[in-house]
Amino acid sequence: MEFKGDYSSHISQQFNDELEQIRTLLLTMGGIVESQVNDAVEALLTGNTNLAEQSRKADTQTNEMEKLIDEQIATTIARRQPAASDLRLIISVSKAVTSLERMGDEASRICRHAIELNEAGQSPRGYQEIRHIGNLVREMVKNVLTAFARNDTELAYTVAKMDKSVDQEYRSAMRSLMTFMMEDPRSISSVMNVIWVLRSLERMGDHARSMAQQLIYMVSGTDVRHTSLKTLKQAAVQNAEAEDDEEDA
Amino acid sequence: MKVSTMTGEAKTHAIDIASMQRDQRTLNLADETMALEVKDLRLSYGTKEALHGIDMLIPKHRVTAFIGPSGCGKSTLLRCFNRMNDLVDGCNITGQILLEGDNIYDRNVDIADLRRRVGMVFQKPNPFPKSIYENVAYGLRIQGINKKRVLDETVEWALRSSALWDEVKDRLHESALGMSGGQQQRLVIARTIAVKPEVLLLDEPASALDPISTLKIEELIHELKKDFTIVIVTHNMQQAARVSDYTAFMYMGDLIEFGDTDSLFTNPNKKQTEDYITGRYG
Repeated sequence: MEFKGDYSSHISQQFNDELEQIRTLLLTMGGIVESQVNDAVEALLTGNTNLAEQSRKADTQTNEMEKLIDEQIATTIARRQPAASDLRLIISVSKAVTSLERMGDEASRICRHAIELNEAGQSPRGYQEIRHIGNLVREMVKNVLTAFARNDTELAYTVAKMDKSVDQEYRSAMRSLMTFMMEDPRSISSVMNVIWVLRSLERMGDHARSMAQQLIYMVSGTDVRHTSLKTLKQAAVQNAEAEDDEEDA
Repeated sequence: MKVSTMTGEAKTHAIDIASMQRDQRTLNLADETMALEVKDLRLSYGTKEALHGIDMLIPKHRVTAFIGPSGCGKSTLLRCFNRMNDLVDGCNITGQILLEGDNIYDRNVDIADLRRRVGMVFQKPNPFPKSIYENVAYGLRIQGINKKRVLDETVEWALRSSALWDEVKDRLHESALGMSGGQQQRLVIARTIAVKPEVLLLDEPASALDPISTLKIEELIHELKKDFTIVIVTHNMQQAARVSDYTAFMYMGDLIEFGDTDSLFTNPNKKQTEDYITGRYG
């Protein structure tokens, strides 16, 4: 049965609080990662070394949040033996936390390359691609967090769909950068940095999609990992329609 | 799956993932043979209807658990399976329960024989004030079996099956009342299975026991389902989730949802089930 995100009607008020707390922590962590990602892309594009350093420091917070949430989850499982939608919430959040932590790592990686590129003072070749893919990924991260906040499976579906465009853009960027390196071998070291950045962005997109899938599982109970976009859409939209029906009734 | 080894050659592991998935897949009611079939069962105490037309199937050699809040009719339904409700004044039953295809509410059914085929264990252990041996042999003696060899063999088998033999084999002729609560409950189960029933009904079998005895009973249930069809009523949802293959959720005299336990506890179909198993306000 699909779930409307009501975590406040357990007979045990403490259990309500614990689940709310887990959700709040996830969204807080999401906020940190979101700004990490924004700052990393910004720092790279504007050549702002300070911002890059700052964003890298934020990753410590992300790591601490991961441990904190996992601890809370372990405690809740041990004390409450959650079932049904509560169980799915716990499982999904636990996996989403891992995805978020890895996004944070990728953001740090981007910052490192930003600093290197800055120090080398090379021409901003490939920056247009970074800007473009970076914007897509930032949008994905923002949307997937909103989807978690609202239990919005349709929004989660658009995130998964966007990942397809990111993958396409990434492949075409690779092709053009490859050509560029062949034409001008002296640029290889700086272009390699750009490639690593693109790679990190592409990975972030994957993590965001994975979170979107977790959300769909949490709300609808259907495991949509390793399935086609069509199946994913079915699970996501069916759920939204069921919700509408209930409202009409 | 390919894993490269130190020597560099690729070694292929034959891992049959499909069969692992099959093993893990949830059970399917359509694949089961049925031990009991309930058809439009209505039960009323006087003018008050307690079961409002129950239709369900109890699969053979599986554990089926009934869960639901107090007064939902789960114990009442369980007691219908061996006609315990016949003893209640003003109790009126319509509909059918088929045991291996025969309606147990037929006029010509021998109730003593029915209760041999469908045994029952209650919440509180109720051993007879006799020796351990005599408790288990009781049902056989009633059937007129008095050969010492047959009795010895059956008593040992029943006690072994209920995981009690090692604890009591040296004091078989001592009083059963000297045993601990958990042992008494297992003794009662031994007494019930000694007459080789087809179905075992357990009404809150572990709710009066400590956690270790409870685990022993649960382990026993898992062992016994190889030979018997087990139906258990429990207030403890985690217990239902642990021991049962199928779970039925009842509410106010209706069967709300019935399905394989894994699905019911991860993704129930009905809101009422969801609310109950997650501990929400009904």
